[in-house]
Amino acid sequence: MNYLLHLFIMISIYSILAMSINIITGYAGLLSLAHAAFYGIGAYTTTLMMIKLGINFFPALICGIIVTGLLSLAIGYPSLKLKGDYFVLTTIGFQIIIFSILYNWISLTRGPYGIPGIPRPSLLGHEVSSLPEYFVFSLIIALVVFIFVRLLANSPFSRALRAMRDDELAASAMGKDVFRLKICSIMVGSSLAAIAGALYATYVTYIDPTSFTLDESIFILTLLLVGGSGNLRGPIVGAIFMVLLPEALRFIGLPDTIAPNVRQIIYGLLLIILMRYRPQGLAGEYRFE
Amino acid sequence: MLLQFIANGIVNGAIFAILALGFGLVYNTTHTFHIAYAAIYTTAAYCCYTLYRIAGLPLLISILGGLISGVILGCIIELLVYRPLVKRDAPLSVALISSIGVYIIVINIIALIYGNETKILIPGIQKTYQLGSVILTQIQVIELIIGIVVCIAYSLLLRTTNFGKLIRALADNPNLLSAFGVDIYHLRLQVFALSSLLASIAACLVALDVGIDPYVGMPAMLISAVSMIVGGVGIFVSPALGGLLLGIIQSLAIWKISARWQDLVTFAILIIFLLLRPQGIMGRRRRLEEL
Repeated sequence: MNYLLHLFIMISIYSILAMSINIITGYAGLLSLAHAAFYGIGAYTTTLMMIKLGINFFPALICGIIVTGLLSLAIGYPSLKLKGDYFVLTTIGFQIIIFSILYNWISLTRGPYGIPGIPRPSLLGHEVSSLPEYFVFSLIIALVVFIFVRLLANSPFSRALRAMRDDELAASAMGKDVFRLKICSIMVGSSLAAIAGALYATYVTYIDPTSFTLDESIFILTLLLVGGSGNLRGPIVGAIFMVLLPEALRFIGLPDTIAPNVRQIIYGLLLIILMRYRPQGLAGEYRFE
Repeated sequence: MLLQFIANGIVNGAIFAILALGFGLVYNTTHTFHIAYAAIYTTAAYCCYTLYRIAGLPLLISILGGLISGVILGCIIELLVYRPLVKRDAPLSVALISSIGVYIIVINIIALIYGNETKILIPGIQKTYQLGSVILTQIQVIELIIGIVVCIAYSLLLRTTNFGKLIRALADNPNLLSAFGVDIYHLRLQVFALSSLLASIAACLVALDVGIDPYVGMPAMLISAVSMIVGGVGIFVSPALGGLLLGIIQSLAIWKISARWQDLVTFAILIIFLLLRPQGIMGRRRRLEEL
């Protein structure tokens, strides 16, 4: 039972990540490989606020969201003035810079030792500490994010984003400020990733930089691509599928020593096969054309 | 001390130059952001290691084996992954994502076979040469010489041979080239083979110098991509200049700051260039539609 609850909590966290990268990649059509960096900034900022300043989960989370949103400008601004691949490369660069800062700024982040003993969030004086309670808590947060993304998806902002994704020139000819739309989509998407980071940190109660590597960014992008991007279903389908897949592998009796590598190989194969035969993913709408 | 660090920087820069030339070749001709370049690099180094340390073959033959394995992998990737996408006229981001997939697969197969720890090809202390106050190891001298030779040979190949003319034409306008009766798929294959050869040369040299682990490919690929942008996209020889510059700046950063912040310095340079001189050192300013 605890095992199932754990899986559901992970699905909630990864659903938030998939929904947030969907705004950047699915709606705005920008391929981002820096999502684990935003996830990490959110996790670290929230954690440090809670531990060093001793403030409550929700104000700390808001600080995390703001810091992440502001830092996302650092990749948006230099790369979006240029076209295409520069953005991908800049996101990889940003990912590596953030990892390097988390790993080497030992006086602030404790570097490779990680930060243990992160307090669980408390709600009206009650600490959300047991697993079932945390499950409900993470589900509620994921639902709030879902409702927010749903409102966003039906808003003029999302229509403008999709118009820009499908034909940038036409969108700017219709008077849409393409640069501003892209920057906004990155800010919104990365701020939502910070929520997932805060949930992860307070769930595991320990964070270290190895949870926020380039591999994790690739994994988050894979979540979205497997599920499908550009609509509301895709990211959730992707998160459920990709969280349950390794567990299915465990049940067929793969030895633990080779399991992580085999899992990665399957992700790689999935990416290639999907791109070749079903670029819109399992339940997606947007096809990267 | 300054001279020593500059010398180290030039040696690294020579390697970065070879890498960046190979990456730039693929990017400029096919516009593929070739992340699997990292997988080719790692494969060549591991093949060289296997032949030399496990099979016990002579060093030169092992290196040759490494180069051949890299070229074969590069061709396989083009044939099985990129070519079907090009035939379907798929967008470039699809090729990029597939490329990430190839990278993940190859790296994890290597990690499964060899494990994650660093492998050393030449154990022990190497012979050194002293020139004034600068000390270089034997392998560093070889790296430098091969770097120079490769850069010269590559620019001669581009300027004087028919193949060079064809790949410049491919970069300009593939449709027109195929209308002239050139088999562009065959030409693309040659481009990928040549680029993989360059990656493999650099990989074997670095493997001999500092050893290898399964994750060396990604930083190498990123450095070549940054070198290409710093040098100037669209020009075939400029990535070498970017690579050299990056090597020297990195080495000075290690001296003045710390080796821990090396990655940060690399990408700080990228961001500075994107903000201030997006066309690179040698590039001319182009209109947005031309990019």
